[in-house]
Amino acid sequence: MDSFFNQYGFLIVSMTFSALLALSLYLPLMAGQLSLASPAFYAIGGYIAAVLSTQIFPVESGAPFPLERLLLEMLIAAAVSGVLALLVGLPALRLRGVYLALATIALVEIVRVLSLNLEITGKAIGIFGIPQPFATKLDYLWISGVLLLVSAFFVYRLEHSRMGRAFAALREDELAAGAMGINPTTTKLLAFVLGAMLAGVVGAVSAHFLNTWNARQGTFDASILILAYVIIGGSRTFLGPIAGGLLLTALPEVLRALAGVPGLPPLAVSFLQDGRLIIYGVLIVLSTLFFPQGLITPALLRRWNRKGRA
Amino acid sequence: MNALLQVDGLTRRFGGLIAVNNVSFEVATGEIFGLIGPNGAGKTTLFNLITGLTPPSSGHLRYKGADITAAKPHQIAARGIARTFQNIRLFSGLSALDNIRIAQHVHTHTGILAGVLRTPAARREEQAVRERALELLRLVHLEQRADEAVGGFSYGDQRRLEIARALALAPELLLLDEPGAGMNTNEKAALSDFIRHIREQFNLTIVLIEHHVPLVMGLCDRIAVLNFGELIALGSPAQVQNDPAVIEAYLGE
Repeated sequence: MDSFFNQYGFLIVSMTFSALLALSLYLPLMAGQLSLASPAFYAIGGYIAAVLSTQIFPVESGAPFPLERLLLEMLIAAAVSGVLALLVGLPALRLRGVYLALATIALVEIVRVLSLNLEITGKAIGIFGIPQPFATKLDYLWISGVLLLVSAFFVYRLEHSRMGRAFAALREDELAAGAMGINPTTTKLLAFVLGAMLAGVVGAVSAHFLNTWNARQGTFDASILILAYVIIGGSRTFLGPIAGGLLLTALPEVLRALAGVPGLPPLAVSFLQDGRLIIYGVLIVLSTLFFPQGLITPALLRRWNRKGRA
Repeated sequence: MNALLQVDGLTRRFGGLIAVNNVSFEVATGEIFGLIGPNGAGKTTLFNLITGLTPPSSGHLRYKGADITAAKPHQIAARGIARTFQNIRLFSGLSALDNIRIAQHVHTHTGILAGVLRTPAARREEQAVRERALELLRLVHLEQRADEAVGGFSYGDQRRLEIARALALAPELLLLDEPGAGMNTNEKAALSDFIRHIREQFNLTIVLIEHHVPLVMGLCDRIAVLNFGELIALGSPAQVQNDPAVIEAYLGE
């Protein structure tokens, strides 16, 4: 068992990051806003942690990075992402549907191009040698796992509270929600800011976890990948994005294991190893055909509940 | 007359079309005010102007003496004007209970953190919101279906639920856009009683759009008649019924 966790420690923590990023995209989606901006805030959160830990709070090489500083970086990343989301969201959220998605992709590109060209983000090379608070990759689960549990709890409770219902009203019918006294602008903005804060926090942890941070983190590819987690996992309950993030991140490892099955033709082996994005694409098409609401739907949860009670 | 709503020279143009043309009237506190007119006369546009969904091209709206001409829909709802829609606009993917809970938004205060942490105050508020929602569902005989998604409800049930949702805003002025559409004569009679009942119970002032003449004549204290965006008659049912301009608008020369 120990060797399993050590071998797959990196993967397990990556799975929790994906689930968290999927939740960060799900938050604005709760209010009907298709925002693909999560990778932009993820990248910014990562740069905040990278710059702070290498330049502002340096530790002697070899010494572990203090955990309370990591927590402080997470807080700063959340605050900066939140304020930035407020500034960007106010004009961007006037757009609807696919136009908002396009505007948020533009934000992701702006952050990428800026980080490629700014001195503070290390230009194309990025920032490396980010200090490690933990001895092994698996130990990051103490942060990412707890963060996932806390976020899941937060979103679950949110869905059953006054503000969560206001989000749902906007998703269902914005015009009627306005006529029922819900302020569409501030409510959408709130959902957008919450998603951005979560993505920023995940970026901060991820920068330490990956040891290096550069402009390849949080790109347009990531936007689509995170959207795939939400669509395939299910976009109507918080469990959908979590399941989607966990499963789809584990998928390449499963495929790699499958590629190791002896006797497969070489073409199949290389497809299983490198065709990850093709397989995601096929899965998105299949899931829209057979599970239009994703794998985990509210109806499915109700059925489980009934079985549990019976 | 104690005017709750004052409509003053209200005009709305859509390109070359004048949907509402210089319309003025007042709605008195406590009355049931009918708005009738042939198809395309501008009745629904007038509702959209009053509730802020469409900004007026010119003219003014006053509610309880305050100017609400430039107010946004959610601000108008918060002031106590609720409405239903001609083509029912419930939150169809949500339960009946949630539809009504959502409409209590402006009267509740639980913020995002208090809601997530379920503080004692948030729990108390949640309990009150739920009780009030169930009470309103009982009023429209839908309490048994509180947890069902409303998209599957029958047309009549959706109409009644939409009125219950509007009542959850605790309005003083209720705008009903063709509440009797698609109902048969018996159902319309029951609706008429229901509207009178809620006016008494909730101290409402009601403005309603309706095509069915007997229902309007029997129910309304006063009636305004619109034709091609213009107000052509205003008065008691008897006055309006015998007005030559109204007869001409409905029957032609």
